[in-house]
Amino acid sequence: MRLLDGLLGVWHRLVALVRRRRLVRDIDDEVAFHLAMREAEHAQAGRVDPGLAARRQFGNVNVVREQVRDMWTFPSFESIWRDVRYALRTLWRAPAFTIVAVLALGVGIGANTAIYSLVDAVLVRGLPYPDADRLVVLIGNVRRATGVERRGGSYPDFVDWRTRSKSFEALAANTQFTMTLTTAGDPERIGVEAVSSPYFSLLGITPAWGRTFRPDEDQVAGRDAVVVLGDGFWRRRFGGDRAIVGQTIQLNARPFQVIGIAPPGFRGVSDLGEAWIPFVSAVGGLTARGNRGFFTLARLKPDVSQAQAQSEMEAISKQLEAEHPDTNEGRAVEVDTLHAQVFGQIQPALQVLMAAVVFVLLIACTNVASLLISRSESRQREIAVRTALGAGQGRLWRQLLTESCVLALIGAAAGLALTQVAVRTLVAASPVTLPTFVHPGINWSVLLFTMAAALGCGLLLGLAPIVHVRIGRLADALKDSSRGSSSARSQRLRSALVVVQLALAVVLLVGAGLMIRSAYKLTAIDPGFDPASLLTLSVNIPRIPAPPVVPAPSAPATTSSSAQAPAAPPPPPPLVVPAQALLDRLRAVPGVAAASIVSDIPLGGGSSAVFYSAEGDSTAGAQTAPRAYVHAVTPEFFSTMRVPIQSGRSFSDAEMQPNSNVVVVSENVVRRFWAGQDSIGKRIKLGNAGSTAPWLTIVGVVPELKYRGLPRNPTSDPDMYFPLNERPGQSLVMRTSVPPESVAGAVRAAVRELNPTIVVYNVNPMSTLVAAQTAPSRFTTWLLGLFAASALALAVIGIYGVMSYLVAQRRREFGIRLALGAGSREIVGLVLRHGARMIAIGIVIGVSVAVLLSRVLGSLLFEVSATDPASALAIGLLALVALLACYIPALRATRVSPVTALRTD
Amino acid sequence: MPGTLDMLILKALSREPMHGYSIVQYIQRASDDVLGVEEGALYPALHKLEVRGWLKAEWGTSENNRRAKYYRLSAIGRRELERETAYWNRVAGAVSRVMLGA
Repeated sequence: MRLLDGLLGVWHRLVALVRRRRLVRDIDDEVAFHLAMREAEHAQAGRVDPGLAARRQFGNVNVVREQVRDMWTFPSFESIWRDVRYALRTLWRAPAFTIVAVLALGVGIGANTAIYSLVDAVLVRGLPYPDADRLVVLIGNVRRATGVERRGGSYPDFVDWRTRSKSFEALAANTQFTMTLTTAGDPERIGVEAVSSPYFSLLGITPAWGRTFRPDEDQVAGRDAVVVLGDGFWRRRFGGDRAIVGQTIQLNARPFQVIGIAPPGFRGVSDLGEAWIPFVSAVGGLTARGNRGFFTLARLKPDVSQAQAQSEMEAISKQLEAEHPDTNEGRAVEVDTLHAQVFGQIQPALQVLMAAVVFVLLIACTNVASLLISRSESRQREIAVRTALGAGQGRLWRQLLTESCVLALIGAAAGLALTQVAVRTLVAASPVTLPTFVHPGINWSVLLFTMAAALGCGLLLGLAPIVHVRIGRLADALKDSSRGSSSARSQRLRSALVVVQLALAVVLLVGAGLMIRSAYKLTAIDPGFDPASLLTLSVNIPRIPAPPVVPAPSAPATTSSSAQAPAAPPPPPPLVVPAQALLDRLRAVPGVAAASIVSDIPLGGGSSAVFYSAEGDSTAGAQTAPRAYVHAVTPEFFSTMRVPIQSGRSFSDAEMQPNSNVVVVSENVVRRFWAGQDSIGKRIKLGNAGSTAPWLTIVGVVPELKYRGLPRNPTSDPDMYFPLNERPGQSLVMRTSVPPESVAGAVRAAVRELNPTIVVYNVNPMSTLVAAQTAPSRFTTWLLGLFAASALALAVIGIYGVMSYLVAQRRREFGIRLALGAGSREIVGLVLRHGARMIAIGIVIGVSVAVLLSRVLGSLLFEVSATDPASALAIGLLALVALLACYIPALRATRVSPVTALRTD
Repeated sequence: MPGTLDMLILKALSREPMHGYSIVQYIQRASDDVLGVEEGALYPALHKLEVRGWLKAEWGTSENNRRAKYYRLSAIGRRELERETAYWNRVAGAVSRVMLGA
């Protein structure tokens, strides 16, 4: 009822604020009316000067008008400031309380601010492009027997999408790969995006200097060698010299003319771009409709929704399927937002973390509320005096609320200081690489959030003593006051708060327990090879210079599809150093026990798939055509990776040549076509059954590896291994007898000594690649564990405080019991039973909530359910620590001397 | 006694909507001229109750054709009046028992 009054009051005052002039006029009119009525009455009674008599009777007209006007306004700044000063003095006089409360609130608000600053950077500010909500990505997909798979688009498809669709302002094909720069200094691999000409304007990016691509520069394959440089790359490599615009640089041994510089911070949608080249002029194989592999960026027209675009693209896909059944059967397009593409992985983790820190803050608040209640207990006298001096109830409440808000704001200031440190540490320690344009930090929106959180806490905390007093009045009304003493009352309220705390802590602990268990399961996954003491690296061996040729760029980083465009007929010039010679040199490096060349490092990304057919098979249809990921390796690959050969053998040295026509397959190939038979000697070929590719004889079978991802490969396709082919881009895996990081320097030196033009990059121990696969999960786990630990600590402090208070309250009783011969075990039992009851209720509530909430964690968990033993372990831990927190006050109870206990009252 | 004026105002308005001047007249008449309302205190009290939402007010025309502000009880005000009345009866009864003291 009072609360409703208060809310109505605030509302009426707000309305009055807007209609100030009318309010003033109304008050004046009302008073004037009264005076006129009175004057008329006096006049009728025949008094001299009736107006004066009326005014005299009324009192000071101006003061009354002022008073009435004040009724409609909020408390003035001065009066609030008076309250704040009073609150500060009160807090200053209770330093122990203030420090504990500020620390608890500081941790709670600080954790919230830190996580919110991430949420703000990722989900609120989002993509750094104008009208970013209209940016979408068109992803070509295909219906397979195993489900819909994302594949990307082909250039002929892209051109049809562009000409037939009406949903988009512009579309831009784009793909990302690395190229070798050989201008101005040591050769270097740089991230390059090949993009259609409207790419920059579509994103709303204007060059800082020079220009971007003209449409005519994106027309003819291999013709227009122009490049836009990234700002960071331009400053690093060319010292920020604008004169570079108009000059040429060498990329993959081909001259490119620099036409512009991108604005600072722009790294393209891949976030890896350091330079941009026109799509058509740079990417080969654009005439084949079946050659799919790139994603298309598009900007929706202002009045078109994502769903409308999706249905239009479905219609276009149907048309294309009818027109080109051979390449487009079962092909469709998925329209996804760019935001989801960029932040899809981190978003659920952030949501869970945000929920976790809100829990931590709630626990901190219940702790402080509990403190405030015991304080209001000891401030009864002060409150009584203030009431006696004429302070109304509303006035007292305002004072209590001001006090808790001041407390919360000081806590928020402490929290902000904590955040400054925490966010930097958090981002530095994060195994998740946030997009480079995400700069979490404290800005206005974060500050606003912190203020709101602090004031919310302040109001909530201020309510605690008020509710406490109200329950007291209720008890009085029920004539219960003689029996339920005020301290017993606050004890009950504080016990209830402890139960809430424990329940919240249980939820967090169970959540963290599940995440930790899931993370453990992730690290325990057997990838099928031995990732320990394995060094991986990539090299680019230039070809011996020859007349300029169009370079075939490396495949896009993600899975590309079906047949790559066939190599150009004239054989390319040889490499400056044969791959085999490089391998031999590296095997001689001390500490390297075994080494092998491979086209694509396991878990390193960059694997590509092909369709194949098995000899004598007639079961493969369009949606079930067998597909496998292909890797070119040297004979020692399997022994270096410690992959057992199930049957047959690896390649021989003699088979290390282009037309040896042998293949090693993973066991699922065999299981599909020759289950239960000896598969050695069986034959497969690339392409469909009618293809003219040569038959390849299976010489060995190896187990399935987690070659492309942990905890599982993105698709279930098997792997195929071919003898190494001689090409510039190669990777190496090296088994080392010493820690793999320690030989990295010697390996680089050996390569430089062999030939300084060979570029070495991506040098990583395999353990790093494994860790990167599970990084998002580990990051969330680590943070959630941290928050759960804070929650546990806060809850334990809470229960300790309440039990200590309880023991202090019952000192006299315990003293008498001891004097009457009760053993200390009985006293301890008495206290522990009380504590155990609170713990049990807290756990029951907490577990019920946790079971409901564990579904939210679903997407972040790997092979773990809420009923996992980890949950029981987390709950057991909480119960144990909480009981321990009760045990210390219980022990204190047994040390009460009967005499002193009787004297204390 | 604090709060008494509020109670009297609520009681006065429980019969029919009135403007401030007639509330003064009513209380005076109803108490047989025992209770005289401090006119300067009446308007702050009325506006306080209006802000709180216990009273509603609208402008109307008075008996002598002047623009006057009429107050009436809101639902909340009516409930509050019942509570205040019950409380008052209890206290007044107790006080008179003490004063008549047996």
